Amino acid sequence: MSLAIQGLTKAYGGLHVVSDVRFEVPKGALVGVIGPNGAGKSTLFSLITGFLAADAGDVAFEGRSLGRASPMERARSGMVRTFQVPREFSHLTVRENLMAAAPGQAGERLIDAFFRFGTVKAQEKEIAAKVEETIAFLRLAKVADVPAGRLSGGQKKLVELGRALMTGARMILLDEPFAGVNPVLIEELSVRIRELNERGIGFLIIEHDLPALNKLVSTLHVMDRGELIASGTPAEVLANPRVRDAYLGGAAA
Amino acid sequence: MDAYLIAIAIITAIYVLMALGLNLQYGLTGLVNFGVVGFFCVGAYTTAILSQKGVPQYITFPLAALLAMAFAWPLGLVSIRLREDYFAIVSLGFSEVVRLVATSEGWLTQGVQGIPGIPKMFGTFSGTTQALAVLGLLVVFNLVAIAAMLRIVRSPFGRMIEAIRDNEEAVKALGKDPAGFKIQVLVLGSALTGLAGAAYAHYIGFISPEQFIPLITFQIWMAIIMGGVGRISGALVGAIILMVFLEGSRFLRDVMPFISEVAMASVRLGVVGLALVLFTMYRPQGLMGDFTRK
Repeated sequence: MSLAIQGLTKAYGGLHVVSDVRFEVPKGALVGVIGPNGAGKSTLFSLITGFLAADAGDVAFEGRSLGRASPMERARSGMVRTFQVPREFSHLTVRENLMAAAPGQAGERLIDAFFRFGTVKAQEKEIAAKVEETIAFLRLAKVADVPAGRLSGGQKKLVELGRALMTGARMILLDEPFAGVNPVLIEELSVRIRELNERGIGFLIIEHDLPALNKLVSTLHVMDRGELIASGTPAEVLANPRVRDAYLGGAAA
Repeated sequence: MDAYLIAIAIITAIYVLMALGLNLQYGLTGLVNFGVVGFFCVGAYTTAILSQKGVPQYITFPLAALLAMAFAWPLGLVSIRLREDYFAIVSLGFSEVVRLVATSEGWLTQGVQGIPGIPKMFGTFSGTTQALAVLGLLVVFNLVAIAAMLRIVRSPFGRMIEAIRDNEEAVKALGKDPAGFKIQVLVLGSALTGLAGAAYAHYIGFISPEQFIPLITFQIWMAIIMGGVGRISGALVGAIILMVFLEGSRFLRDVMPFISEVAMASVRLGVVGLALVLFTMYRPQGLMGDFTRK
């Protein structure tokens, strides 16, 4: 089991934003989490990735309990998230955004940046080669030297995915990757995600856009008001009356 | 007149050192340091106190920078993980604490009376030669600092601090700890500021706590805002513009003789303030800022 979510709970005062959510993401799986606005999906992501501290529950990644590990430690363990509103490094170019994401850079230590220029340069060359591959894979070559702040919403999501790939993550958590992205790019992004999944990278995806997600994932979990109300294949889940009720607000009933 | 121009150039060079430090901290990393003058004060007092005891300047200068760093490090450790606006307040508080300690701990700092007779740099020379030697040394300091900044900007370290400035949460999401980078930047920038303080003390020859008010901090902020936040050339140009306004407005008295000496001091600050307002309105990216970047 790659990722195990074990009873995560978070409340603000009396408001339970996430209540005792538990499910598992098998190694190399493509799993989706859906739910209406305010269902607690993004909060769940923040709990999994350590950006918020859970009131109760735990997360285990590749069999290791993460307990109170910081977001940085969680990311370094091989589980990297993106954000609902893209958090690109706006003044850095796309290429620099990806370069910055590479782990274990000697040149990020001041001493080395000044006095081990050779080592740093050699490492930069290695990273740059990997960045070129990633840029080509994500079809970002045309904007590689454009400051990321000037890209479209969809392109920014690709940059975030690219950065996650550069970290060498084995599990990537995408927070609404299709939100605000044009339909052509949604299709493109789906294809890329599938290709990456075939290479063995696991995905947990929060999404609002059901049709795009249905085609992509093998397992779907549905949240409503902080609780997990259904799990299964997309077909099973969408046939569930409770899901239709929560998600479509009873309109389909 | 020559002597006057050299004097202004020396003060400008001292300001450039501080502007380079603040540009590294705020311009490149986004660290809101409102306590610049605190590190300046630490540097100045370090060298002044040691010089009184007969320690030579080639030892007191590096010690001034080291002591400023030694103050910056724990300050960073305890406060840099706070929200950035909190760090701004903590740093401002720090600089006021430094000034109050300098005021009250008379046994060490001679309190409000200040420390007079701090030996000049290149004291074996005199007149213009001596002033030019001081200026030359400061230019060398600045060149070394600028070379170091360029090296930083072009390194992976520089890339990472700019990433932190643009989005700290995203840096965390990639598994890198922004706090470690920010502390290093705080410490390094403070070394330049401490060095500037040492140069100031030896150049003016007399220091007292009232010289180290927060106004100095905000003058450095004005310099980098007018010059262009995040640009190394901006720190240089901004410090020069600041000095042109500060000193140039001195001559306002020639055209406005009806204003008293005391009122003039306020008018001069007003002129700098007006310049800052005009800059932020019409050239928010600063003089050296890139038009193409948003």
